[in-house]
Amino acid sequence: MGLTFLNAGFLFAALAALIPLVIHLISRRRVETVDWSSLRFLKELERKRIRRVRLRQILLLIVRSLIILAVALAVARPTLSGGLLGRGSGHAKTSVAIVLDDSGSMGRRGDGGDLFDAAVGVAREIVDLLEEGDQAFLVRASDPPEEVRPGGTFSRDALVEELRGMAPGAAATDYAGAIAVASDLLAGARNLNRELYIIGDVQRTGWSGGPRGPAERPAGREGAPPARAYVLPIDGPEGNLGVSAVSVSRKYGGTPGLHAIVAEVVNHGRRRADVPVRLFVDGVQVGQAGVEAEAGGSAMARFATSVDESEWHDGWVELPEDVLDVDNRRYFVVAPLERVEVLLVRAEAAGERDEAYYVHRALDPTLTADRFRVAEVALSSLESQEQGRFPVVILADVGRLDAGAERWLARHSSEGGGLLVVLGSRTDIRYWNRGPLAAAAGVVLREPVVRERGVRLAPVAPGHPLLEGLTVGDRLIDDVSVRRAFTALIEESEVVLELPGIGPALAVARTPSSEIGVLLTGLDPAWNGLPRSGFLVPLLHRVVERLAGGAERAASVDVGEDLVVPIASARPGRVEVTLPDGSGLAPTLRAGRRPTAVIERVRAPGIYRFEASGRRVALGAVNPTPAESDLAQASREAIGEHLAAWEHRFIGPTDTLASEILESRRGRELWRVFVYVALGLIAIEMFLARPRFA
Amino acid sequence: MAEESYRRFLDPAVVSKLATMELRARLVVEGFVTGLHRSPYKGFSVEFAEHRQYMPGDPLKHIDWKVFGKTDRFYVKEYEEETNLRGYVLLDASASMAFGGDGISKLEYGRYLSAALIYLMLKQQDSVGLLVFDQAVREFIPPRSSPRQLHILLSELDRTEPASETEIGLVLHELARRMRRRGLVILISDLLDDPEDVLPGLKHFRHLKHEVIVFHVLDPREAEFRFERDATFRDMETGELMTTEPFAIRRDYLEAVDDWIGRLRRECAESRIDYVPIRTSTPYDRALFSYLEKRKRLG
Repeated sequence: MGLTFLNAGFLFAALAALIPLVIHLISRRRVETVDWSSLRFLKELERKRIRRVRLRQILLLIVRSLIILAVALAVARPTLSGGLLGRGSGHAKTSVAIVLDDSGSMGRRGDGGDLFDAAVGVAREIVDLLEEGDQAFLVRASDPPEEVRPGGTFSRDALVEELRGMAPGAAATDYAGAIAVASDLLAGARNLNRELYIIGDVQRTGWSGGPRGPAERPAGREGAPPARAYVLPIDGPEGNLGVSAVSVSRKYGGTPGLHAIVAEVVNHGRRRADVPVRLFVDGVQVGQAGVEAEAGGSAMARFATSVDESEWHDGWVELPEDVLDVDNRRYFVVAPLERVEVLLVRAEAAGERDEAYYVHRALDPTLTADRFRVAEVALSSLESQEQGRFPVVILADVGRLDAGAERWLARHSSEGGGLLVVLGSRTDIRYWNRGPLAAAAGVVLREPVVRERGVRLAPVAPGHPLLEGLTVGDRLIDDVSVRRAFTALIEESEVVLELPGIGPALAVARTPSSEIGVLLTGLDPAWNGLPRSGFLVPLLHRVVERLAGGAERAASVDVGEDLVVPIASARPGRVEVTLPDGSGLAPTLRAGRRPTAVIERVRAPGIYRFEASGRRVALGAVNPTPAESDLAQASREAIGEHLAAWEHRFIGPTDTLASEILESRRGRELWRVFVYVALGLIAIEMFLARPRFA
Repeated sequence: MAEESYRRFLDPAVVSKLATMELRARLVVEGFVTGLHRSPYKGFSVEFAEHRQYMPGDPLKHIDWKVFGKTDRFYVKEYEEETNLRGYVLLDASASMAFGGDGISKLEYGRYLSAALIYLMLKQQDSVGLLVFDQAVREFIPPRSSPRQLHILLSELDRTEPASETEIGLVLHELARRMRRRGLVILISDLLDDPEDVLPGLKHFRHLKHEVIVFHVLDPREAEFRFERDATFRDMETGELMTTEPFAIRRDYLEAVDDWIGRLRRECAESRIDYVPIRTSTPYDRALFSYLEKRKRLG
């Protein structure tokens, strides 16, 4: 047991207990001296009576001092923790914050049922320990962590009702964030005791402090005991398989609408897993693949399927049921191919078969504006072009730009437009390096180089999405020899193609609002074999698609993130979203060059269907956070480090929750006891001090 | 002047009242005075008292031949003892007798009382002596019945000052040894000594057939012990100090005083000693007169 004082500052008043002694000492000095005939009788009485009188005087002195001391201690608000008194007939009022893990991992099944049900059971036990005047806050630990019932509650029934209404979702765990929320709530609580309960599977991925660092304890109040934290782990099976990622890419060439779908399966278990993976598109299973994933490793399931590229499609990759179902399915969407408006800017003095010619033919070989509608203009007409109409602008060896053209391009880029610069014979190195394009593209030209024998164009990373299907091993499918190019210093750009021994050949840089690609060797047969290569068309198509932001249309986010889908093609009118559970929602619309519809912090995984005026304008895929599939628990040491600022304890399933908590709970305030003691002492004092002789 | 000083003890009103009073010895004493007290033992005497006719059997030596020569008749002389009632006034002059509340001290009271008794007995033509004591006999004036004795004794009373401690028992025993003839012992004291010492001393006198009167003089404060606040008491004889709560112990104190007085009264009564408790708040003459009247009534 321990004794503390809530108003310790009043303990100085205990010094007043010396006042009776001081008065006694002063009084003794003022005692009258009387000449008396004989002390004979007084001496006899000394033995019998006077000693009793002195004893009574001493007792009175002690009692009076104790009265003052008892009053001073009562004012100092003593509290006794633990022990019999602590468990006895009640405790000082308590404010508790229950952090309940409702993340995706809590949906798994344990030996005794779902882990979340077990967690709610533990929370109920804690609620049962609350008494009248106690306050409770309920905080969900899933991302984003928030208070379930703003302001907390003093009602047990209300709290039980809230618990009943909770269910595990698909969101990731954020213990650090939840503890921070709880800490803020407890900081504002007024009750004497403040306790934090963390109930969940204490998944290790949920304890990343991130920028917050270790959890902070609510600031102490003078005289109040420090807030305490209790960690109540809910154990469950840890072996789990999950689909952590799905990528969808359009395959060029071959069957129209052919898409490659690759799913990554992660094995968080301790044994090698051999599982079938099924592919569904538009609700229909269209493929199945078997994968073998080592313990702690991953494996790829690859699929190929054709879809009507004129429509939106959705699908998912699915694993068989295991301990955790929420991560066995991963959704994806396929956006329809939309014609991309491309503004091709040629030089004023461009010849008939100039770079622009080859670019135009590569993008629109049949001149039917099938996939790309190319508007070809001279540089001098650039300023007069409509801003916002062309997602992509290609500068085909235009040389120097005037100020107007620079301004136009700057605005185009700032509004999200992509830019591809094809260098060539008109390129002015000095102008380039001093101009805005060098900084935006992160490419500083050095000098032109000539290789009479030619250098084979090579991929930097054969698996690059822009080069998918265009490489064989570490070589392009088509040997492209380059005799002339510019060497350059690349700063923070993504190099896709290179000229071994010379430098980069194709680089893509990301600006704050868009992307800029630079081809450092011209599309000129005198420079290289690209114009006549079968490699150029798919390369240009992919580069232009990328610069046009086509991939963004197939929005896929994790639970807890904002789902943002472009709705540029939506006609004016109300946009509505159908959630995975079939309910409807009005998203937030953001205007701009690329208008978007936003659903903030999506919670449920699945396909979100955006429609305007009855027409589908977008699909969005929401998936569980892959980290949630890792069910391994954080170690006590790791948790302890995170809670280092708290007085914390772990309560296991074999511990008796009530006794553990009540033992530590700062027990009874004893000020009443001291008041009763003072009253009793006053009664004793009155008895001792009563007149002994009438 | 000293003479005028001691005359203060003889208040005219008191003296005139005393003239009407007497102090008779109740118990038989040897010798008697030509006043109230006559010795029953006539026979040889030191002093011729009277003639009476010879009767056969009378000793021939007692025949007054001068009277026979004149009268031719035989007469014998009868003689009387020179000793009359011998009174001894014992005055306690120890330091405790100096205690007095707002009024008179016990010693001063005792002096007045002693003076009155001396005057009374001398008026009765008894012999009176004075013994002043504290822890020993300080002054002893043997009993005389001459008129000058009054001056001598009153002067001594006037000079008496309180001092030293009390040893009543020793003094009583000493006087008892000195007294050859039976007499009347009048002790005037506060008796603030151990009764185990005082009473045997008094009883010694009775053993020797003396009559004893004890005037137990106390100040009202000593008897009532009324104090409102804590006090430190200083013993007037020893200087010893004691601090206590008088109001807290008063009951026990009074009980102790009662027990003490009760024992003195009881044992004095058993030994046929007159025990007269007096408070100095009572005028001495009233106290004395009251006692004498009571004594006279009781015979």
